[in-house]
Amino acid sequence: MRRTLPICSLLACLCLPQLLLAQELMQRLGGANGPPVVEDAAQLAVPMLADGTVDLSGVWIDGGTGRAEDLLPAGTLNNLMQPLTKEKYLARDPADDPYNWCMPGGPVRITGGFAWRFVQHPTTNATHIFMLQEGNAHTYRQIFMDGRPHPEDPRPTWYGHSIGHWEGNTLVIDTIGLNDIFWLDVGGTVHTEQLHLIERWTRSDYSTLQREVTIDDPGAYTAPFTVSYTAKLAQPGSEILEYICIENNQYGVAGGAVSE
Amino acid sequence: MRYRSPLLIIASILMLTGLFTRAALAHHSWISEYDANKALAVKGVVTKVEWTNPHVHIYVDSTDDSGNVTAWNFEMASVLSMERGGWSRRTINVGDVISVEGFGGRAVTERAIASTIITNDGQSLFNEKPRD
Repeated sequence: MRRTLPICSLLACLCLPQLLLAQELMQRLGGANGPPVVEDAAQLAVPMLADGTVDLSGVWIDGGTGRAEDLLPAGTLNNLMQPLTKEKYLARDPADDPYNWCMPGGPVRITGGFAWRFVQHPTTNATHIFMLQEGNAHTYRQIFMDGRPHPEDPRPTWYGHSIGHWEGNTLVIDTIGLNDIFWLDVGGTVHTEQLHLIERWTRSDYSTLQREVTIDDPGAYTAPFTVSYTAKLAQPGSEILEYICIENNQYGVAGGAVSE
Repeated sequence: MRYRSPLLIIASILMLTGLFTRAALAHHSWISEYDANKALAVKGVVTKVEWTNPHVHIYVDSTDDSGNVTAWNFEMASVLSMERGGWSRRTINVGDVISVEGFGGRAVTERAIASTIITNDGQSLFNEKPRD
């Protein structure tokens, strides 16, 4: 214990500037990208559509931020990674994250860090649900709700092929046909084209969406695992804004990953 | 339970730092681009404003006592974040004299990030919403 205190103090000193810098920049640069969220709305009922399904429409903030490694119990991801997955994971550098070069973040990160909108179309017996992303690649996901199956051999894409159905008040989205180019999350969690994602979206109260994402990828992990996220409803009147990441992306210049 | 494992304490500190650091990430990892040990303060003339995404850039020429000019490129937040915070593309204009505090780039110091901007009339443009 006598040796612990100096070590901890040293580490705290080393980490503190980063901590303060990050906090200060966050505050001074106007906070998160999204509009303010609804607070204290627990007394409001979860809205329902005429067909008896939950109304998910609105602008939501977050619901896909964070590294799986941090969101799972300590050591879980490490224990599940196959040897090649672990090697790839440890070698990943933020400068190699396609997201930082304005490419799509894939189905989990489409809701991370920026405002996004859920659209059920039509609003009675929806055949499609869309997730419209404000940030980064300024793109969308479409979820087929009309009962169609997955194609037998889908071409791997950034958002894959998604089909959805309701289990009670929970929207279940099943996705396959994903490419292995994007990083699953900001931490570089690895996946392969064998990735099968199962998402469970539940509006647990008026202003909160709970999201459980099961990552089933026999090409990268020894067993499926589930990561949980939370999205918050933006204040009424909030809109998603235009954000074209590639417009003036100077990522890498300051840090030296690319020259000007 | 009286003595906690040193590893646990160290892990907690690292995790706490990591969480806060990641909370600040918007589009990019600022920590991988900017050096917290390169705090700087620059006064100069705005030569260009790029009101763009993913991030706004404000270019400033500063002149030292010997007349040497240094061209700075200061990165700021996204247009989304700044407009929601009350800024507009007309808040800072070419020709304005401003003082900027921030942090230098890890590889290119002059490619920096702004944390505070003070206009010539003393108005701070980060800790409060800009005035009309």
